[in-house]
This record gives sequence, C-alpha cells and structure tokens, in this order.
Amino acid sequence: MELTNRIREAGFRPVAGDALRIDATEPTAFLAENPGTLAVEVAAGCRAQLVVLCGAPTAAELRIVLGTGAALEAAVVFLSEAFAEISVVQEAQSSCRLTTAQFVSSEMRCRIGLEGRGAENELKGFFVAAGTEHCVAEIRTEHRATDCRSDSTVRGVAGGAARGEFRGMVYVAPGAQRTDARQQNRNVLLGEAARIETQPQLEIYADDVKCSHGATVGLLDGEAVLYMRQRGLSENQARSLQIEGFVGEVVSHCGIGPLSGLLTEAVAAKLEKM
Amino acid sequence: MLSVKNLHASVDGKEILKGIDLEVKAGEVHAIMGPNGSGKSTLASVLAGNEKFTVTAGSAEFLGRDLLSMPIEERARLGLFLGFQYPVEIPGVTMANFMKLAVNEHRKYRGEEPLTAGQFLKLMREKSAVVELDSKLTSRAVNEGFSGGEKKKNEIFQMAMLDPKLAILDETDSGLDIDALRIVATGVTRLHTPQNATVVITHYQRLLDYIVPDYVHVLYKGRIIHSGDKTLALKLEKEGYDWLINDYREE
Amino acid sequence: MEQIGGREYKYGFTTEIETETIPKGLSEEVVRLISAKKGEPEWMTERRLKAYRHWLTLEPPTWAHLTIPEIDFQDIIYYAAPRPPKKLGSMDEVDPELKRTFEKLGIPLEEQMALAGVAVDAVMDSVSVKTTFKETLAEKGIVFCSMAEAIRDYPELIRKYLGSVVPHTDNFYAALNAAVFSDGSFCYIPKGVRCPMELSTYFRINAAGTGQFERTLIVADEGAYVSYLEGCTAPQRDENQLHAAVVEIVVERDAEVKYSTVQNWYPGDREGRGGVYNFVTKRGLCRENARLSWTQVETGSAITWKYPSCILAGDNSVGEFYSVAMTNNFQQADTGTKMIHVGRNTRSRIVSKGISAGSSQNSYRGLVRVAKAAEHARNYSQCDSLLIGDRCGAHTFPVIDVRNRTAVVEHEATTSKISEDQLFYCNQRGLTTEDAVGLIVNGYAREVLAKLPMEFAVEAQKLLALQLEGSVG
Repeated sequence: MELTNRIREAGFRPVAGDALRIDATEPTAFLAENPGTLAVEVAAGCRAQLVVLCGAPTAAELRIVLGTGAALEAAVVFLSEAFAEISVVQEAQSSCRLTTAQFVSSEMRCRIGLEGRGAENELKGFFVAAGTEHCVAEIRTEHRATDCRSDSTVRGVAGGAARGEFRGMVYVAPGAQRTDARQQNRNVLLGEAARIETQPQLEIYADDVKCSHGATVGLLDGEAVLYMRQRGLSENQARSLQIEGFVGEVVSHCGIGPLSGLLTEAVAAKLEKM
Repeated sequence: MLSVKNLHASVDGKEILKGIDLEVKAGEVHAIMGPNGSGKSTLASVLAGNEKFTVTAGSAEFLGRDLLSMPIEERARLGLFLGFQYPVEIPGVTMANFMKLAVNEHRKYRGEEPLTAGQFLKLMREKSAVVELDSKLTSRAVNEGFSGGEKKKNEIFQMAMLDPKLAILDETDSGLDIDALRIVATGVTRLHTPQNATVVITHYQRLLDYIVPDYVHVLYKGRIIHSGDKTLALKLEKEGYDWLINDYREE
Repeated sequence: MEQIGGREYKYGFTTEIETETIPKGLSEEVVRLISAKKGEPEWMTERRLKAYRHWLTLEPPTWAHLTIPEIDFQDIIYYAAPRPPKKLGSMDEVDPELKRTFEKLGIPLEEQMALAGVAVDAVMDSVSVKTTFKETLAEKGIVFCSMAEAIRDYPELIRKYLGSVVPHTDNFYAALNAAVFSDGSFCYIPKGVRCPMELSTYFRINAAGTGQFERTLIVADEGAYVSYLEGCTAPQRDENQLHAAVVEIVVERDAEVKYSTVQNWYPGDREGRGGVYNFVTKRGLCRENARLSWTQVETGSAITWKYPSCILAGDNSVGEFYSVAMTNNFQQADTGTKMIHVGRNTRSRIVSKGISAGSSQNSYRGLVRVAKAAEHARNYSQCDSLLIGDRCGAHTFPVIDVRNRTAVVEHEATTSKISEDQLFYCNQRGLTTEDAVGLIVNGYAREVLAKLPMEFAVEAQKLLALQLEGSVG
C-alpha cells in the first residue's frame, strides 16, 4: 500500500524487538511496523515520537509507560485488519499526545491510565469505514491521581454498509480531585445501510472535577454547504470537502514529521472512493 | 444584466417579498436601503438561490437566463456572487482548498482549463492584497476563528478570486470599524469595472461614501417604495425613513 | 368504544374479598389464587400464567450500575391486597421524623393523615373532591378506574391494550408484574377529548395500598389529551421492600400524554438500612403525530431501576424525557430512558439532571436508537450530574445507535459540583448553607421542574432541598 511505503520512507528509526526504552531528551521519531507485543518506556524527563503501523493483519499489544515528566507523541495507523490493545500508563507531569487512524476494519482498545499527579493526555482519532468494514474505537481514560487532564476526540465516517463503533469511558477514581476530562465523539453516516453506535460514558467518584462528554451522529452543518455552493461548488463537492475537513481537524493534530500530511492525503483518497 | 419583475417570496408560509422590480445593467452600482425587517437580506438570498425561501410569483433574468430555475451553484458559476452578512465557519476546510475548488469550478463552467497549483497560489497572493487580507488566513479553515472584520474582508477576497459579473453584498459594512470599512469598500471599488455590476445592501450611508451608487432603492415591507440617485442616501441619513414610510402608508 | 361508561357488571366480580394473605412464595397455584381472589375472567388468569411460566425462564438483570442484594422471590407474599393499610389512631402515633417532613413540605393536615396511614374516614373533604371529579370525567366519557374494575368493566380495551407496549416477555420484573400484579390504574381518553383536569392516582381511593406490583395502563385515543400525575411528594409509608410496577401508555394518532412522577418512597436510613427497591418498567407507544412526555423527580427508594421510554412508531411523533434523580446517603439510582425512533421525522428530547450526595451512586442510562426507516429522525440529549461531597458517584451510560444517514443525534453531558464560591456568596447574603444548597440545586433542576404541573413543582422543589439536609458540611 502506498501509505505504508511513504511512511517507511519518511525517515523514522525502525524499532527492533519487543521492547523500546527511550532515555533521550532530544526526541527521535521511531517506527514500529506490525508489532506483536511492544513495550515502550519513556524514562523520566525524556521525550520521543513513535509511529505504530499496522500494515498487515495483526493482533498488536502495545504497552506504553511514561515516567515522571516524560513526553511522548505517538500515532497508531491501521492500514490492515487489526486488533490492537494499547495501554498507556502515565506518571506525574508526563504528557502524551496520541493520534489514531483507522482506515480499514479494525478494533482498537485503548486504555489510558493517568497514575501520577498532573499528567496530561490528548488523544485524537478517526475511522473511515467503507463497504462492509467495521471499525471499533474503544477509549478508556482512567484518572487515578489529582490534577490530571485528558481530552479525547474520535471522529467517525461510515459509508456503504459499514459499521462504526465508539466506546468511550472516562473513569475518575475516588480522590482524583481537580480532574479535567473531556471526551468527544462525532460521526457522519454516508451510506444508506451504514450504522454508527456510540457509547460515551462517564464514571465519576470524585466531586471536584470538570468532566464533559459529547457524541453526535448525523449530518454536518447545512449552512456551510449552502455557503460553498454559493461559491460555485456542487452539493457533492461541498459535502466531500466538509467531510475531509471533519476528519482533517483531527489529523492536523499529529505533529510527527510528515505524517499529518500523509494521513490527510490518504483520508481524501479513501473518501473519494466512498 | 439582472432583471427582476414582480418577485414574491415567502419563508415558512410567510410572505416576505411582495413584488420586487429591479433592473441592473453592466457598470452600475445599486444600493438597497431600508429599515430592519424590510426584506433586504431575503432579496439577496432569493436571488442567490437559498432553498429556504419559496418564490411564489414573478421572474428574474440574469444574463438573459432564467435565474430562478437554476440551482444555487449554477447561479454562482454564471457570475452571481453573494457576500454574506454572516459568513459561515467551515471547520477543517482550508481556505486554499476551498477556493481552489471554487475557482476551478467556475473555470470549468466557462470551458477553461483548471489553474495549476502555481498559478493558483499566485492568484491567491495577488487577490489577498486587494483587501489587505493577512496571507496566513488563507491557510486556515474557512472563516474559523476569523474576527468580524476578517470575515468581511474574506468575503471580498473571495469575490476578487471569483471575479463575478454581479456581486450582491449583504450588509458587508455591518460590524466593521472605520479602518476595516475603508479597506473593504476600497476593495469593492477596485473590483468594479464597466463590465460588472454591484448591488450593495446597507443600513448606512457611510459605506456609500466609498462605493458611490448610481441608484438608491428603499425597500419597505417587501416592496421597493422609492428609488433615486445617490442624494437619496444622503437625505435618508439626515431624515430617516419616516417621510417615505408615511407617504407609503397614505397610498 | 362508544359504549364505555354505561357497561354492566358482567363477571360476577366481588369486591368483598376477606382481608387475608396467602403463604409466601410464588407458584402456579399462587398465580391462580391471585386471579381467583380478584374474580378475574379466565383469559386474564391464562395471561398471568403465561407470564409466570415465562418469568421462570428469566434471571434478574445485572447490567445496571447497582449493587442489589440477592432477592429471595420465594420469601415474598404475593397477595396481601386489598388489605387496608395499618390504621393509626391519631397523628400522635405517627413517627416524629415523618411529621417533621410533612411540616417542612407544608402538606395540609388531612393529607398528612392519609399519607401516614391515619384513619381518614373522617376526612370528608377529599371524598367529596373525588365525587365531583368522577362526575366531570364521566361527562366527557373518560374512564379512570382501578385495573381490577377495568378488567371487569372494559375487557375489550384491556385485552387490546394490556401488555401491548410492555409484553410479559420484556424483562424479568415486567414478567413478574404481569403474573402477580395486584392492582393499579386504568385510564382511557376517548377520541378527540381533552381531559379537563390532571388525573392523579392520589384522587383514587383504591389506589392507596395497591401494593408492590402496580399496573398502570393509559390509552389516549386519536386526538385525545391527558396529563397524568403519579405519586405524591410526601414520603409514603410503605412496608413493601420490592416494588415492580409496570406502566404502559398508548398514544394514538394526534394524541398527547404527559406523565409526571414524583417518587419519594422510603429511601432507607442514613446507614443504608431498609428502603424500597423500585424496579419499574415504563413505556409508551406513539402513533402518527403523537406526543408523549415523561417527567420524573426521583428522590426516594433505596434502589431505583427505571427507564421510562418512548417507542416513536408513527411518523412525526415526539418523545420527551425530563428527569431529576437525587440520591443521598446510601441510595442507588440507575435511571434514564430509551427513545426508539421508528417512524419518519420523529423527534425526541432528553434532559436528565442527576444529583448525588452522601455515599450514594447515581447513574443515567439511556438508549437512543434510530431505525433504518426513521428518515430525518432527530434527538437531543442533555445529561448533567451534580456531585455534593467526595464519597458519592455520578455516572453516565448512554448508548446511541443510528442506522439512518439522514438522522441527527446529539448527546451532551457535563459533571460539576456546587462551588465554594457560590456557597460563600449565598452565605454572605445571609443564607444558611443548607438554604443555599437548596437554592442552587433547584436552579440546576429548574428546566425539569418547570415541566411539572405547578402544585407538583412547588412541592418537588421543597422535597429536593429537604432531601439534601445534612449532606453539606
């Protein structure tokens, strides 16, 4: 697949074996291709970038640990049917930015544990399902310490007879005061037989918290389509541009090398065929 | 260029336009004024083809074609531009992508080749100078996070990019400070040629200091109740609409 | 259906059943016995048996976010009605705690007596109210009677509608209810009739003490309208631990039903001992252009398991759910709604306000489903949680399932607490902390309270404040 090759050529450092320990303060971008099991540890105060590519049918298990004050920016890209379990454990003051991209049938289960005070996690993900594809994005964010912040956004597009599922959970443990947690899931159905199921859930056992979640399924802003048509775009053009933008907002969050641009092109290419 | 006859239009069963007649020729600038709720924005929307409104009677010809039978995008490609009073934000869609598609659709309609990326960028740079639009804004999502003034400048920038035959500018002056107003108005004037025409919908005389109209029409309760030259706008500024409305009531 | 109202006594029904109870436990004999005691026709007995046999195949649901102690269904007396509630001689015998609550709520003495179980024979006022009430309804052809009377007097309607929205196969507790329901209310509004007053179970003398397995059926025929009030704001004295009621509502074409509940069953004591288990199945079916609106204020019961739902079968039908659920001490509530969009242009709106205090657990659980044929269906849900204190829990479990691309579904949820600043501000203006909390909570719940009929709303407001006493330190 073209995207696979272009990611390979992007100059990331390949990961060999099933463990990666990062103890550099200057970030290096790593690439792990079709990992079975991979344990990544970012040592205290260190930083790194990591791209995980599921380009062949995979059952991946990814365990990421961020030490105190560590920072990681990671992206998980699904280009082949895959089942992936991702766990991220974050110590105090660590920060993690995640981008997840599901281009084909895949089930992603992501568990984020904010274990140390002041840890931050930002996740932006999308799936684009066509034909009879079935994408599942499960994000469980656990706030187990005080003063942590999490913000997850997943956007889904389902065409044809595809199915998209979002299962979100923000869990705030007793005592995890001053938690700031946000979770958002927005979906667009393009296909006549397509289906979206979404479960944005909250389980909260502390009172001094700011938690919110939202989920939407449905058409995008009709005013915007009208506006674009006034500038001469056909309704179809306006709608596809809008959907590209809808996914694009999530993709642009990714700051790893040229990945954001590559993903944007791949999204446009897939949408065009839908 | 534009010939509107006895145009009636309604929204949700309520009649807003109750018989509009308007003739606009190439090279002309028309100003449409009138108190709030008189139907000015509706007229603009109906001419642009907003499907929210239903035309119940009358006709409109544009460049010899039946305007009312065309979908909104065809009217646009034929050369009708509407500058929105409240430009819509389109998250995630960059100005550059949007404009490139729009410009090339216009070109395709006229049977011209699409612009290359280089030509397009050059055009963007050139036209953004017309309204002093920060070139950074063109890499942002359409209208998203733009200030009120930036949104209006962006409308005129798009007008410059698309080079319409007829531009209808709906309250383009509202919400602008004096500097932005000058920039926007000067931009519109610079784009004016003997081959195109402009219809300016406004509340205030101040925009007309820059964009000098050939005709001024007063719209009230869905009808044009009075037309005159630019001095009418000055008189309205001084005396308000009451003298006209009172006359109209007496009729 | 035109004949309703003038129907004759038909099935040799006798209301003179001796006050007696049958042994604990449930069996086919017990079901037959219940049916016989109530003098029911054969078809009703068969229905009960069918439900019972189905119930035997079921297990109690465990998916809710609730910790439910195991219930021994063979340790329950399934027939104790129509035993009148234990009468007390005078208000002096009433629990002082209960009396204090009545006073705070500003409930008239007569009502206090009725609610506390003091003999009310002397209270002539409410009887006369009942009589005028019945006459007015009869003029309009409106039927409002007990379920037992309905089975006797309106068998066609009951056969047509009972179990049509909540079949006995629906869930464990619905099956149990269908087998052993004690009594309940039946309400029928004929075509095109607007019920001129709010119907309330409170006005129906035999609604009192109907026990743990209440069955309600409301039918609004084409173009009819009714507003129905269930329950009462005052704490009801009740010895039953398990309540498994079923409420079915049929809203025919162009009809509208508003169903309001204020539920304040005994919530157990501060240590979480005792209290009612309220496991209720409530559902309405909307035909074309019909509208069903559920409003609930849930403050009582030790455990609440309740999801008033709307099946929007007809095109252009509308479903609404407005809820305030408050839990304190060791109460647990798992409540919400289901909006099932089947028809085209169906619309639904969900507003849920949860308030958790003490060591309680409060969950919103909801389902919004848009079927494939439900073109242009629209749903908006807003679920807010307010936490008071750091030992309680507030949870949100919505499920959205959309199979039509023209549908638009939006769900939003927020969680917050009463801020120190708000309290300080109120204290500075001379309010006690308790008053301030009451004020803030009522403001938070206002959107829902505003949907209640006026007198109900005023009492519900007081109730919310009262229920929170002692929860803010």
